[in-house]
Amino acid sequence: MTSYVAPGPGPAGVPAAGAPAEAPAAPQALMRVEALKMYFAITSGILISRHVGDVRAVDGISLSIEKGETVGLVGESGCGKSTVGRTILRLYRPTAGRVVFDGQDITRAEGSTLRAVRRRMQMIFQDPYASLNPRMTAAGIISEPLEIHGIGTGRERHEQVRDLLATVGLDPDYGDRYPHEFSGGQRQRIGVARALALHPDLIVADEPISALDVSIQAQIINLLERLQGEFGLTYLFIAHDLSVVRHISDRIAVMYLGRIAELAGSRELYDRPLHPYSVALLSAVPIPDPAVEGRRRRIILTGDVPSPSNPPSGCTFHTRCWLRERLGNPDRCVAEEPVLREMATRHEVACHFAEEVDGTAEQVQVTGRSGRGGAAGPSVSAAAAGVAFSGEKVGTDAGPADASVPVAPTTPEGPPPRPSRRG
Amino acid sequence: MALLSVRDLLVRFQTHDGTVYAVNGVSFDLDESETLGLVGESGCGKSVTNLAVMRLLPRPAGRIVGGHVYFQDEDLVGLDEAEMRDLRGKEIAMIFQDPMTSLNPVLTIEEQMVETIKAHKKVTGKEARARAIELLAMVGIPEPEPLLRNFPHQFSGGMRQRVMIAMALALEPKLLIADEPTTALDVTIQAQVLELLSRLAADHGTAVILITHDLGVVAGMTRRTNVMYAGFVVESATTANLFAKPSHPYTVGLLHSMPRLDAQPGEPLIPIEGTPPDLRFAPVGCPFAPRCAWRVEACWKEMPTLEPIVATSEVQMTGPLATHRAACWNRPTPEEAAAGRPLRDDFIPAALPIEAPR
Repeated sequence: MTSYVAPGPGPAGVPAAGAPAEAPAAPQALMRVEALKMYFAITSGILISRHVGDVRAVDGISLSIEKGETVGLVGESGCGKSTVGRTILRLYRPTAGRVVFDGQDITRAEGSTLRAVRRRMQMIFQDPYASLNPRMTAAGIISEPLEIHGIGTGRERHEQVRDLLATVGLDPDYGDRYPHEFSGGQRQRIGVARALALHPDLIVADEPISALDVSIQAQIINLLERLQGEFGLTYLFIAHDLSVVRHISDRIAVMYLGRIAELAGSRELYDRPLHPYSVALLSAVPIPDPAVEGRRRRIILTGDVPSPSNPPSGCTFHTRCWLRERLGNPDRCVAEEPVLREMATRHEVACHFAEEVDGTAEQVQVTGRSGRGGAAGPSVSAAAAGVAFSGEKVGTDAGPADASVPVAPTTPEGPPPRPSRRG
Repeated sequence: MALLSVRDLLVRFQTHDGTVYAVNGVSFDLDESETLGLVGESGCGKSVTNLAVMRLLPRPAGRIVGGHVYFQDEDLVGLDEAEMRDLRGKEIAMIFQDPMTSLNPVLTIEEQMVETIKAHKKVTGKEARARAIELLAMVGIPEPEPLLRNFPHQFSGGMRQRVMIAMALALEPKLLIADEPTTALDVTIQAQVLELLSRLAADHGTAVILITHDLGVVAGMTRRTNVMYAGFVVESATTANLFAKPSHPYTVGLLHSMPRLDAQPGEPLIPIEGTPPDLRFAPVGCPFAPRCAWRVEACWKEMPTLEPIVATSEVQMTGPLATHRAACWNRPTPEEAAAGRPLRDDFIPAALPIEAPR
């Protein structure tokens, strides 16, 4: 009989958190994690449980999130991205490492200290069906955080709930309805309203749109972006869908087996991925355009993600790495664990051979440099100024398609500018 | 003659909440070795259409109340259960989203594969076993022989889907229906499975109907695409044409509401406001009208038929020259499709729907 249990405050691996040794951090960091580890014990036995191993869900992650920023966390299922989110919110007690929120070390915080911090950190969950109590009304769900933290009188809370419902685009009069009376997208709006109730600084959104229908997903993404502008929110956006993460994030951390493989600005990550896993991940994402799909070549990774209870030695990706194979399977990948190193400004990669990735056919393929970037490639400022679609696509080599530009020419006036991302 | 020809298919479900109008007159053709994508959101009828083709609708609730399904000129709607059983697996095979629910958890892979093969072919157990090993090797499972004794739970999601594909292709069917085959899989595993699926289908000349909600998967995998909404096919074209000139407001909306990996950062998304209709009400007019910025008076009254977007005397139902058709009273112009909203001076876009509980 094997079961997974969250360990208590593990005596093992607690860092020697001597106060003076604290590393100087970026001044603006709202949330900072250092060498964070979260292991779940695997126990065996029915009456007497023996510790037979660990699932290394998060295995040494350092990351800082600045105020007003959106950091995306991508990776495949089991890579530990959700565990990072939950550990940051201190829903788990970290096995090792530090969690620092707004300058305050909350790694071992308990009781009222923790409760006070939690007011400033909220979460939006994946499944809008499972995350709302079916026996409570929408208003009850949204006002519960206010009640727990003893904010306002009943009347004030009632008013606040109505405001929150309107803020997330629901009719305030529907507060007395139950979750089953709402559609999936509407339920997720209720979940967002609940997260907003305490005016948090940080919101961890764990796959907030993956349970929703395609046509509804954009509604929620736009809502989250609007709220960020209105309330100056900071997001940790966890998702497996790289296109969505790229759309919403300022910076992206790509995770593989409990570690960060690459950390870069979202544009930089797409334009110049330097970790072989990031390249493979980007190449695997289907693009809704047959012309683009027709000239793309996928990197097909062999095999499955190894088990986090028994991760490969050295670089955990070495068992599936296309680059290692090309380099003649160097021993270093097996023997030595790569650490994140800065390859360019704010662009960190955990690969011994990241230099070799730059300029490979695979990287060029993924970024589509051959078909992009020419004279028509608009600058970032042009995009920010409201150019809806770049008319940059060249050569529709996909059969009998009309010769006109596949997706869109630039619109004459463009849509109204988006609210500023920074609050 | 087309391999599969669905005509005016109507499917209803009787539930304790009333009748659900799941499929409301769907017609399409499929040639041999053609790949057809069927896109739409959950509840649009794309899965039900194919369950009806396979005659696997949940009974007694689901019923085909009208229309025909011609497979190799034979109307499947009239066949009895024994005749259908001969056809399933042998001529038409199906793979589902979650392989764990379609594989039997208490039988080994060997027992399930051998059973399938022996049900349709007069072979000895030994021959069937050899065939099973051959099939597993074909879908890229290394050292298949010892794995035959394993149970489904001992495989990963990607491996299970490979086993499903091996079983579906065991009898070399002419038509393979893949219902969201990679939705439950991670993106790198999805790439593996899709590559395998398209290679095997091409090698065996199998026609494929790929059901998915992911326009990216359709773009990479299919030659022709039908877009479905609320039990209707609203747009039908070669995949290249569909993406080059989307001509139904729903297709336009879908394309603008998905972030693209290769988009310029900062490109705003244009969501489709509102929610899909409740199928417990009989469709009156176009079901997309409440969410549609292009709607006109006629949209409330009558569902338009699929019509060519360019006037033509002869409509091609299949193949690389299939006619681009859309069911819309007020089709978006190419410029509007590009912008994602109506642009004409003389047309006032409809107001957004109100978000109300269902």
